[in-house]
Amino acid sequence: MRSDYKIILDLIPENSKVLDIGCSDGELISLLENKNISAQGVELNQEKVISCLEKGLDVIHGDINVMVEDFPYNQFDYCILTQTIQAVQKPDVLLNTLKKIGKNIIVGFNNSARLSKVLSFLVSGSFDSLLKKSNSDQWYNTDYIHPCSIKDFKKLALDLDLRIINTFDVNNQKKFLNGKIPSNLFCREVLFHIAND
Amino acid sequence: MRKITDNSEYPGYLLKCQEELLLDSGKIISDFQVAYQTYGKLNSNKNNAILICHALTGDQFPAEESPITKKKGWWDLMVGPNRPIDTNKYFVICSNVLGGCVGTTGPNDINPKTNKIYGPDFPTITIRDMVRVQKILIDELGISKLLSVIGGSMGAMQVLQWAATYPESLKSIISIAGSLKHSAQNIAFDEAGRQSIMLDPNWDNGRYPEKNKKPENGLSVARMIAHITYLSEKAFQNKFGRNLQEKKDLSFGFGIDFQVESYLRYQGKSFVDRFDANSYLYMTRAMDYFDVSSEIQNNKNKIIQNGIRFLVLSFTSDWLFPTKESKEIVSLLNSVGSNVSFAEVVSDRGHDSFLLDEPQFFKVCDGFLKGIK
Repeated sequence: MRSDYKIILDLIPENSKVLDIGCSDGELISLLENKNISAQGVELNQEKVISCLEKGLDVIHGDINVMVEDFPYNQFDYCILTQTIQAVQKPDVLLNTLKKIGKNIIVGFNNSARLSKVLSFLVSGSFDSLLKKSNSDQWYNTDYIHPCSIKDFKKLALDLDLRIINTFDVNNQKKFLNGKIPSNLFCREVLFHIAND
Repeated sequence: MRKITDNSEYPGYLLKCQEELLLDSGKIISDFQVAYQTYGKLNSNKNNAILICHALTGDQFPAEESPITKKKGWWDLMVGPNRPIDTNKYFVICSNVLGGCVGTTGPNDINPKTNKIYGPDFPTITIRDMVRVQKILIDELGISKLLSVIGGSMGAMQVLQWAATYPESLKSIISIAGSLKHSAQNIAFDEAGRQSIMLDPNWDNGRYPEKNKKPENGLSVARMIAHITYLSEKAFQNKFGRNLQEKKDLSFGFGIDFQVESYLRYQGKSFVDRFDANSYLYMTRAMDYFDVSSEIQNNKNKIIQNGIRFLVLSFTSDWLFPTKESKEIVSLLNSVGSNVSFAEVVSDRGHDSFLLDEPQFFKVCDGFLKGIK
C-alpha cells in the first residue's frame, strides 16, 4: 500500500463521507470503503473511470479544475487531493471550492524544494528536474505546472484561512502537530490535514 | 384481473389488465394492456432482471431483428449475447410505453366505455404514468427487485422516475443523455412538431383514425424538425456538407437540391409508416411535463436506504440533452447523498450517439453493470 494511503486510512474515522479528487483507478476509494467509509472519486481519464466502475465504486468523470464546482456545499467530511495539487490550474481556487464542499481537506504532494531536487537543479541548470513527473516529461509538457515547497503550501493554507491540523512526513510516517511542518529541506513527500474553521 | 398472453400482432407478450388506472391528470383509464418483449432467462432468484425504457419513437424491440422495420433492433449494439447488456447473463424486459403505438394502450385503441377509438379523448399521460404501468408489469412477472433500469433520452426520464417513485424495487439505474426536467428549448421543439401535426388538415382534431386518413405531412415535418435536434452540426457537415443531390448545378427552385434535404425528407417519410401522429402528440407532452427533481428530493431517504447506484451518462456533442443537464442530475443526486457515478463520452454525433456504435460508451455501461453486486 502507498505510504500516504496508510496515513489517510488511519486519519479518517469510520462512517465518514469522502471525496477523492484525482482518484485514478480507485485504489484509495476501495481501501476506504473496506473501512466502512463512504467514498466517491473524481477522475479525468475515462479508462480509469471504467476501472472504478468495474470495482463497483462511485466515480465522477471530469476535469477537477471545473468538476468540483458542481458538488453541493458541505457534502463531504473529507476531500482528498494526493499527488494532484501541482497539476491543478489554480490551486487556490480549487482549495477555496473544497473549503465549501468538505469539512476537512487532505493534500499530499512531493516537496519541490527538497535538497536533492534543488541540488540537481543547480547541477543541471534545467527546470526539467524540478518539474518532472515521468521520464518523458520536459519543462514545457509537464503536468506539474505549480511546483511548490512545504513552506509554500503552508503559506497558501494560511492565506486562505485554512487551519493546519496536522502534517505528515510521508516517507518516515512521522506526524507533526499544532501547525508544525516537516523539514522543507529534507522531507520528500508531505501530507497536510487542513480544515475550514 | 391481470393476464399475460402471447401477442398475436407482434412478437412478444401482452399483459392485459382489467382494472382502473388513476393517472397524474386525475383521469382514469380502464382496461389497458402492455405489449412487451423479453430476452434471456430470468434466474431462479429473480435477481438478474434489467428493464429497458425506450425513447420517444422506440419500441419494445431493442435487440434482435425488429418486426417493424425488419432491420436490427434500435439498441442491438447494446442488448444481446455478449453485448454490454448481456442476454446470456441478464433477463431483459422492454415494454412499449403507455400512449405508444406498438401494442400498449394508446390513443389509437378502442375506448371500452364508448367502443370508439380514443383519438383526442385519450387522457394526457405523464412519464410517471408510463412508469406506473411498467411497475405493474414487473410485479406480474414476479420480480421484486430489478438489477437495473436503463434508458436514453425519454428512456432516461423513465429511469429517473423509477428511482424516484419505486426506489425499493431496483438496485441501479443508468440514465443516458437525459435530464431532470425538459428544458424550455426542448418544449419549444416539441411544440413546433405538434403544431405541424395539428395544422395538417388530415389530423382532423385527432379523429383521423376513425376516418381512415393520416396527417402524414404534419407528422413527417415534425419528424424532420426533431431529427435535426438528434444530430449535431458536425454530424450534418461530415455526412452531407453542401453536396448536391444527384445533380451538378443548383436548380433555382424549391425542389431537392442538397443531399441533406433529401435525407431529411426521407427521415420524415419513413417515420410516417411506423409511427402514429396522436401517439407523437401524447408522448411529447409527457416529456414536456416531466420534472422529477422534487420527487427525488422527497424520496431521498428511501433512495439512500436502498443503496441505489446511479450512473449518469452524457455525450459531448449532444445539444438536445447536453452534458450540463446530466451534471444537474449528478448534483441533485449528490446533494441527497446517493451513490452516483458520471461519465461524459466524447462523440461528435449528437444526441443520437446513444443509439450508435460508440465503444467507449459501451465500455462504461459494461463496467458499471459488472460492478453491481
